[in-house]
Amino acid sequence: MKGVSTQKKSTGYQRVVLKNSAPVLENESTRLSAVEFKQFIITGLKILYGEVGAALTFDVLKYDEDSRTAFLRVPSRGLVKLWSSLTLLGSYQDQACAFRILQVSPFLLALTGNSRELQLD
Amino acid sequence: MVRIKSRYLLCEINVTDKSRLLLLDDRAVMTAVRTAVARIHGDYGAAQCIIGVSVKYMNAHTGMVFLRFPKRCYKLLWSALPFITCMETRGQKIPCFLNCLHVGGTIRTCQKFLIRYNTQQLHRLLPKCKNEDEKHVRTALLKCLLPGETRETSAEEADSEEDEVV
Repeated sequence: MKGVSTQKKSTGYQRVVLKNSAPVLENESTRLSAVEFKQFIITGLKILYGEVGAALTFDVLKYDEDSRTAFLRVPSRGLVKLWSSLTLLGSYQDQACAFRILQVSPFLLALTGNSRELQLD
Repeated sequence: MVRIKSRYLLCEINVTDKSRLLLLDDRAVMTAVRTAVARIHGDYGAAQCIIGVSVKYMNAHTGMVFLRFPKRCYKLLWSALPFITCMETRGQKIPCFLNCLHVGGTIRTCQKFLIRYNTQQLHRLLPKCKNEDEKHVRTALLKCLLPGETRETSAEEADSEEDEVV
């Protein structure tokens, strides 16, 4: 987070891409389309941050229905709002769910690999 | 010593029907503010609204309200005020909007501003007096002294006003 905020000062506008494993649902058979997925996130934003939060611009760059994984793009000023509302999203259609943020980076290319999983000899 | 800092917003309630202004009370204003903040800023805003937010003073005759907000989040709460379009009291909906006149750190500065503002309004309105009764009221008003104002200045002002009239 510290790196993000320092870079924001130099560029002014900064996008942050989250690689995000979408709802880990209780019932694995529930399928979520990309539109429903985005709608779900917007609902979460609206609950926590109201109409101002629902107006936050973010994009679903890529969404994989099977693994329910998505790439989200959000301006860095909205990162905290989006992240906190994702954290507090607890249920989808009356079944418990949770979001796992896998990776966060200011650069899309950086999400090709995860430095936390590197095997160093 | 450290004190809890807050911001006081001096707001004017504008209603289309002046007589319905008297129906409003501070609880109605408080609920209107709470619902507006909850709608605009969601659970986060509603939570900020719980502690340290209150209606300190309410004058139903002039429609002046002092709102107290905690200093750390007063901008967030302030931004929700323009979205108030009606207030509900005793089962009635009164269409209105809030007009923020002054933001101060203490009630004292807000009160000072309110007195000055009312004087300005009075000076603006008094020249428009038409009949004898109104003129009588005007001269009576101009002789009044404001707290903190010296006798000389107010007397001069009164004289100059009277000169214009004559």
